[in-house]
Amino acid sequence: MRNIQKVRSDILQDMRKAKKMIDDLSVMIAGKAGDGVLFTGNVLAKAFKRQGWEVATCRDFPSNIRGEATNYTVRTSLNQVHGRRDTVDVLLAFDCEAILRHVRDIAEGGVVLCDGEGVGEMAESLRKGKTFHRSLLKKLARENFGHEIYKNMIALGALTYLLNLDPQILKRIIEETFLEKKGKEIVEKNTQALSLGWKEAKEIIKDKERHPLIKQRDKARLILTGDEAIALGALAAGCRLFAAYPICPATEIWQWLAFHLPSFKGTVVQTEDELAALNMAIGASFCGVRAMTATSGPGASLMMEAFSLAGMAEIPVVIAQVQRLGPATGIPTKSQQGDILQWIFGSHGEFPRIVLAPGTIEECFEFTIEAFNLAEKFQCPAVLLTEEDIAQNLRTSKDFNLQKIVIDRGKLLNQKELLQIKNFKRYEFTADGVSPRALPGMKNGLHLVEGNEHNERGYRDEDPLNRVLMMEKRMRKLRAASQDVPSPRIWGDRKAKIGIIGAGSTLGPILEAMAELGQKKMKSKFLQLRTLWPFPKRQAENFMASCQEVFIIENNYTGQLSHLLKSQIQTSLRVKNILKYSTLPFMPGEISTQIQGMLGW
Amino acid sequence: MVNKEDFHLEDPTWCPGCGLYGIFDALKRAAASLNLEPEQTVVITGIGCHGRVNNYFKSYGFHGLHGRVLPVATGVRLANPGLTVISVSGDGDAYSIGQGHFIHALRRNVRLVYLVVNNQVYALTEGQVSPTSPFGFVSASTPYGSKEFPLDGPTLALAAGGTFIARGFSGEVAHLAKLIEKAVNHRGFSLIDILSPCVTHNKANTYDWYKGHIDKLDEDLSSNPQDKMEAWKRLQGSEKIPIGLLYQEQKPTFEELVLAEKEKPLGLVPLEVEVSRIKKIMEKFQ
Repeated sequence: MRNIQKVRSDILQDMRKAKKMIDDLSVMIAGKAGDGVLFTGNVLAKAFKRQGWEVATCRDFPSNIRGEATNYTVRTSLNQVHGRRDTVDVLLAFDCEAILRHVRDIAEGGVVLCDGEGVGEMAESLRKGKTFHRSLLKKLARENFGHEIYKNMIALGALTYLLNLDPQILKRIIEETFLEKKGKEIVEKNTQALSLGWKEAKEIIKDKERHPLIKQRDKARLILTGDEAIALGALAAGCRLFAAYPICPATEIWQWLAFHLPSFKGTVVQTEDELAALNMAIGASFCGVRAMTATSGPGASLMMEAFSLAGMAEIPVVIAQVQRLGPATGIPTKSQQGDILQWIFGSHGEFPRIVLAPGTIEECFEFTIEAFNLAEKFQCPAVLLTEEDIAQNLRTSKDFNLQKIVIDRGKLLNQKELLQIKNFKRYEFTADGVSPRALPGMKNGLHLVEGNEHNERGYRDEDPLNRVLMMEKRMRKLRAASQDVPSPRIWGDRKAKIGIIGAGSTLGPILEAMAELGQKKMKSKFLQLRTLWPFPKRQAENFMASCQEVFIIENNYTGQLSHLLKSQIQTSLRVKNILKYSTLPFMPGEISTQIQGMLGW
Repeated sequence: MVNKEDFHLEDPTWCPGCGLYGIFDALKRAAASLNLEPEQTVVITGIGCHGRVNNYFKSYGFHGLHGRVLPVATGVRLANPGLTVISVSGDGDAYSIGQGHFIHALRRNVRLVYLVVNNQVYALTEGQVSPTSPFGFVSASTPYGSKEFPLDGPTLALAAGGTFIARGFSGEVAHLAKLIEKAVNHRGFSLIDILSPCVTHNKANTYDWYKGHIDKLDEDLSSNPQDKMEAWKRLQGSEKIPIGLLYQEQKPTFEELVLAEKEKPLGLVPLEVEVSRIKKIMEKFQ
């Protein structure tokens, strides 16, 4: 035993000397839409995960199906990561244009593996410090397997060699991917393509150019996207009606549920538009079904009308909104945080709503369940606000704990309880603002669900006093809800005087920026706002009071979180905005350098 | 045996002479004759004068947004197919702002009754032109006469795959009550476009005008019109407006096709976390 450990530590020492002790590696796969960039990256991501490493991917896709430039970064690390970093170590390029586009992103000592067909010589200035390898991927694929599509598996074989991945892991993934759907022959061809790539790479790549990843124990973890985690959360929470209209980047939630819900006796409906989607969910929820919809950008705007109805009629409903770049159609496949204020202050009239912002994959799962419970407990719409970055990209996450899931239906009455009530009032005035709820079909529960202002029994009422009491009853629910929603989380050194505030998918780059600042002996802490509404006033005020400098990090132009914060708390501190509204999420380096710059470091 | 007054919650306060009184009466008569139970019935209404039906008719009710009656009604049917769902819209609600939902509910064939109170005018907003107003209609919004041609709900329904297409007249209460009964018994989406005079804002299409223009197809509704071309001809060809059942066919309902839970209403199935089954699904993410 001692001997093995000795050998292992010797190896590690040798690797350290040779600067090959890799603990974090980024592979970018770039080409044209239709090249299979996503497929290749997803296989690689899964292989990294099974190699025992943590994974975070980042897709930078155009919003079309074929032809335009696309790239997908698969980052792997020994530590939990939540996004991409500033540089790339390995670039797998399916064409010349991909190299030219991304050569500047490649780190010193990086490797470029490209499809040699049609690629000329690179200028010396571009080549400097990097290794270039050409392989005729498409040609090999055509000649050996009769179809160019096999270039992806050949490339994966080459990466398996370059990164010293366990080929058995890859073979297993091939089997899982193709055996059921395409049969044995396709599995065999892909396995052969993998071996061919491996051998090709062995011929052309020198040992010192390799980036070997040391295999770790694959602990009980998952690898999935935020959309998948939300869909899984919905299933676990008892969502049994999902109504939606196709829209990027929220459609994956629905497609996943469309496949799985029926076997849990649930139903998925593709509606004619987003107006119908939310109204249908409201109709089902009125009759006791846990119902949900998911949307993005323009669809969210169309849902605003029914959002208000759910607030007024006090119908629980869950809306997953994956933010994409706007305004208008914007860029449907890119991440942004431009819809925050719309969900908090948007739609006509004033009504209570709950807005949660998961920052990790695990939170995507847990907050979805939480959203269903909160919606029912407070009989109002609950919004899960995410971004394309977390919704569509893969991340490793610790295994979800299904045992601790609680389903809380709030004041929903059963028939027995309802029969004991004299003079049932659906909108009864109560201390916490939440009234008992009966369902159509139940005896002794007759009521009208009314979008007009109404009295306790649900009937239209324009009396001024009733209006005041009813408004206060509805809004009172938020006070109770604020005790129940996920509270903000503080990351980093609690004594630090530099504070960062953010929400959602900026969590990853913020945490890494903090680590970078830490290396420069700059201590910082991060207030992750996990509930945006009701706003965590007290916690935010305490955090602000404990800082000398506060930076708010957001993926938008106008600083919506910053506006929200300033409207909700008392502080003399001037917060500084770090905003990004380009097509890519933040890189950690962008945050850390801006913070240093603003502090005059 | 239930009486029609069992469904009477409150006396309506529509304008005296409004066509809605006849419709309200016909609805109560049909409900009584069908032996419906108020607690097993949901009336879903849109925005317009018709929307007050919820305040007068005794049942569970949902009065939501302008034009969104049918998506809500579909949600209700999916949640509890045991309920009798009667949805009510105006011509603006159904054929203008809710038009998109209308044709899709038809093609889905959700089992519900859709009463479209067609008074050919926007009444609650004080008399603007509606999609069913005749060409040249002078209204608050068209003082020089409407320059748009009207659309016809039943014709549209026929094209969109409707399985029960009928037209009634609020001045023919007994006939309308029979139509509603037939519609409730129809396994699928049943449209009744109801000609209904607005005594305040539509001085053109009055009771007398309708009496001179309607053509009752079948007094006792015993016929079973299954010929689509015949229905088309009736709707397009005659000088007069046909009332009665225009077309009916049998198709599976949306609920029958999509609901996996057949025994219990989805909304009443107790929720439990099926840990082992979900765990199995999660294996795909390993």
